[in-house]
Amino acid sequence: MPALAVIVVLFGGALAGAAKTSLVPLTNSGLGHPTLATWRALVHDPALWEAVRFSVRIAVLATALSAVVALTLALVLRRRGTTLRTLVALPVPVPHLLVAVVAVLWLAPGGLADRIFGALPFDLVRDRAGVGIVLVYVYKEAPFLVLLLLAAMGRGLADREEATAVLGASPWQRVRWVIWPAVRGPLVVGSIVVAAFAMGAFDVPLAVGPNSPLTVAEYAQQATANDVLAGEGLQAAALLVTAGVSMLLAMIAVRFAKDVQGG
Amino acid sequence: MAERRLQRAAAVLLAGAFALPLAAIVVRAFADAWRAPAIVPQQLGLRGIREALSGATLEALTNSLVVAGVVTAIALVIGWPAARVLGERRLRRPAPVFLLLALPLLVPSYATGEGLTEWFLRIGLIDSLPGLVLAHLVLVLPYVILVLIAAFGPPLTALEEMGRSQGLGTLSRFRLVTMPAVRPTLAAAAFLGFLVSWSEYGSSLAVGGGRPMLPVVLLPFVRSDPQVASAISLLFLAPAIGALLIASRASRSPL
Repeated sequence: MPALAVIVVLFGGALAGAAKTSLVPLTNSGLGHPTLATWRALVHDPALWEAVRFSVRIAVLATALSAVVALTLALVLRRRGTTLRTLVALPVPVPHLLVAVVAVLWLAPGGLADRIFGALPFDLVRDRAGVGIVLVYVYKEAPFLVLLLLAAMGRGLADREEATAVLGASPWQRVRWVIWPAVRGPLVVGSIVVAAFAMGAFDVPLAVGPNSPLTVAEYAQQATANDVLAGEGLQAAALLVTAGVSMLLAMIAVRFAKDVQGG
Repeated sequence: MAERRLQRAAAVLLAGAFALPLAAIVVRAFADAWRAPAIVPQQLGLRGIREALSGATLEALTNSLVVAGVVTAIALVIGWPAARVLGERRLRRPAPVFLLLALPLLVPSYATGEGLTEWFLRIGLIDSLPGLVLAHLVLVLPYVILVLIAAFGPPLTALEEMGRSQGLGTLSRFRLVTMPAVRPTLAAAAFLGFLVSWSEYGSSLAVGGGRPMLPVVLLPFVRSDPQVASAISLLFLAPAIGALLIASRASRSPL
């Protein structure tokens, strides 16, 4: 399969490149000897751990909210016409950064929401809790998950649901035993993609996030701004940490899905 | 009757939730002066549009369009056989292959981009369009394959078998049977692939810092100059909507 070759070469090469940059320091006279100094410096930097906590919180919150909103919308929409479905799907093609621009125009201090409703009692953009970032992700990702869920709630599902209804199952039982098993797979896969994206993307945090705390990707970007030579290694190492955390979240999600299945 | 009214209300609400926020971008792009607390702009003008159509942004627009177009085409061509093999369950152990193909989705694109930079610097691909295409391909290919898998399976194989038994050659079988059946999914995959590349920020910055792409040009303005940011956003949105229209037209199944 040529696709597999492309992924192995480019993606494997990318990870190897990042690992190499994090291990071999750049000095003024060229490449130094491989050392763990960069990693040591990284794990002892409290700012990194703050960034990891902040990123994980944003990723988990954004994903959980998107999943709940998407599941609710999908349950309501599955019996409705195509107009409503199309309307819900509209944000899918809008780039993230554009949603961030919208958030700034509406929700920033002095933005349109402030002007229409009077001063809002809370900050939504560049707030320390990162609420703005989470809102942007939910607006953008919930419709994406709705599409996945609706695709999984096909024709066969309605028939099975009807059958259980005839057998006397309550609406709640139908959701629990008929719908949930059908949508769980796509929901988990979609949520993993969303969480990994929220974890690693930094265009949205740069646009609507606070100056502190930073997400890990922002931390990585700043590393090179502070020190061009040592920063390269620090940046690569921090990005590898992000990749590791994303995969860890994915593994937890898969595990969780299995548990739900067994229960 | 009440049900229908409810449905109409929901439709209006959803349309509003989408259109109203975006409308602010259009107004902001044409507002030379819009100071708080005014709800309508004090002065309309074309400063934002002029800025957005100046050299650097136009160049970025062209770069983004070229990269997204080329990446999507390549991803469809090399993603097709992979999706076909996976969709028809021809592998004895599909799970590892599947996981490997999906792995780039789990890693931040900025990390992939930075890692590639290490090698691209040596072979002269840094800040070049081919370099950007390769960097985006890593991210677009998994999405394209995951969508395309849905197109293949026993129903298509049966149709193709019928074509063969009717004496259709390889080429006409592809043209008359496979392509029409696969087309809606192909359109969806192309649309998603184009969008992923079009909105990609992290690896564009890492690999092509010296060759601006549209998201990279847009971001600094979000904090510094909302009018220019809004004007560039309009440029940013137009091809995405265009791709949606083309994809939804192509996805109408003739069968």
